[in-house]
Amino acid sequence: MKATIISDKDFQTDLFRNLFEKIIVYFDSKGIETKTISIGRNDLAFCMGCFGCWVKKPGECVMNDMMSQINRNFINSDVVVYLSPVIFGQFSANIKNAIDRWLPNILPFFIKRPDDSTMHPSRYKQYPYVIVVGYGEDISDEDAQLFIDITKKHRNNTEVLIYKGDDEDISQELDKITLRKAGGYL
Amino acid sequence: MKNIILIDSSPKINEKSVSGYLIEKAARRIDDQTANKNFINIRQSFTGHKIQEDYKILINADAVIIAFPLYIFCLPGILMRFLQDYYQFYLENKTKSTNPKVYALVNCGFPEPEINLEAVRVIGSFCRHVNANFRFGIMIGCGGMLLGAEGKPVIKKAVEKLDNAFAEIANDIQNNDTEKKYNILVETMNFPEWIFRFLMNKFGWASNAKKNRLKKKDLYRGPYLL
Repeated sequence: MKATIISDKDFQTDLFRNLFEKIIVYFDSKGIETKTISIGRNDLAFCMGCFGCWVKKPGECVMNDMMSQINRNFINSDVVVYLSPVIFGQFSANIKNAIDRWLPNILPFFIKRPDDSTMHPSRYKQYPYVIVVGYGEDISDEDAQLFIDITKKHRNNTEVLIYKGDDEDISQELDKITLRKAGGYL
Repeated sequence: MKNIILIDSSPKINEKSVSGYLIEKAARRIDDQTANKNFINIRQSFTGHKIQEDYKILINADAVIIAFPLYIFCLPGILMRFLQDYYQFYLENKTKSTNPKVYALVNCGFPEPEINLEAVRVIGSFCRHVNANFRFGIMIGCGGMLLGAEGKPVIKKAVEKLDNAFAEIANDIQNNDTEKKYNILVETMNFPEWIFRFLMNKFGWASNAKKNRLKKKDLYRGPYLL
């Protein structure tokens, strides 16, 4: 089983290092091969909303930077973990850039999901199971809930955890997740 | 004279954007006699290296209107970078902050305007961090219609509703009302969603692909799978 861990190079605090180590050790104990990718502020261009990844170069971003490596790793992983500081209840800018530019991995068309919401269909038959961990020492309850809502409300096959430094919690929470490749239902 | 900052947060480069359209329309509703309007285009701020200059304008604002598109169910990275860095600027200059009123104009590509809610909440959280007074958001479904069908009867009702919403912002900026305001939802389509999906799926994307000398089947490529 392969996992990719995507983190923010600009927020590698003591808390982050502790979290990162816990996850690496956890995956190691499960025999999961782990690749880590750390994103700095100059590593990724901002998505420019051109839709070139849908109608010019389908499945690939038209900008040539670290994102093609991230997307390739994403699609070929069984599990992807985003480690993001919680900022205003959302992902940090570096992590959000990676999430915005994940767009090539879905198709442009529109579908209706069983809950009546609109979505784009999957480009691939299989996607990794996604775990998003929001971290920070002083995350308010309101921001934590917002981070959970942003991550969970519109996505399937995704788990979200909030980490404020409690190691026991993070291991217990990871234990509850069945690590596996998810299907194509986004 | 109120100092009002209107921020166009579209990540697009040299391309007309819905956020730009919304900012222009919102600005028209604000009376020049009572307000001094300043415009910030985030993309141009980054490319023109005038972020610090814009932050100095922002910290003196009485009211801020932020327009942006919804990217993967939340704020686009470019706006997160702008706000995240502004927060650092604010911490170093907080004595100068004027506790401005803040409004969010969010548009998404899907028909349902309510999916913009979390993005509006992020602006609310940003306001709590920088001691600003978040007032309310305008959440727009299928925002692209505002440009794609500009001037056409199909979006007439939506344009009227938007105009009223902008009037509400202009009024709220000028009065001392502290009562909580509700977000305003604007649906741009006056026809069933399935028609929108049918037209886009059958003709919309394929026609765009054709312009790039691609066939519809090319749109399904899966280049990253090893």
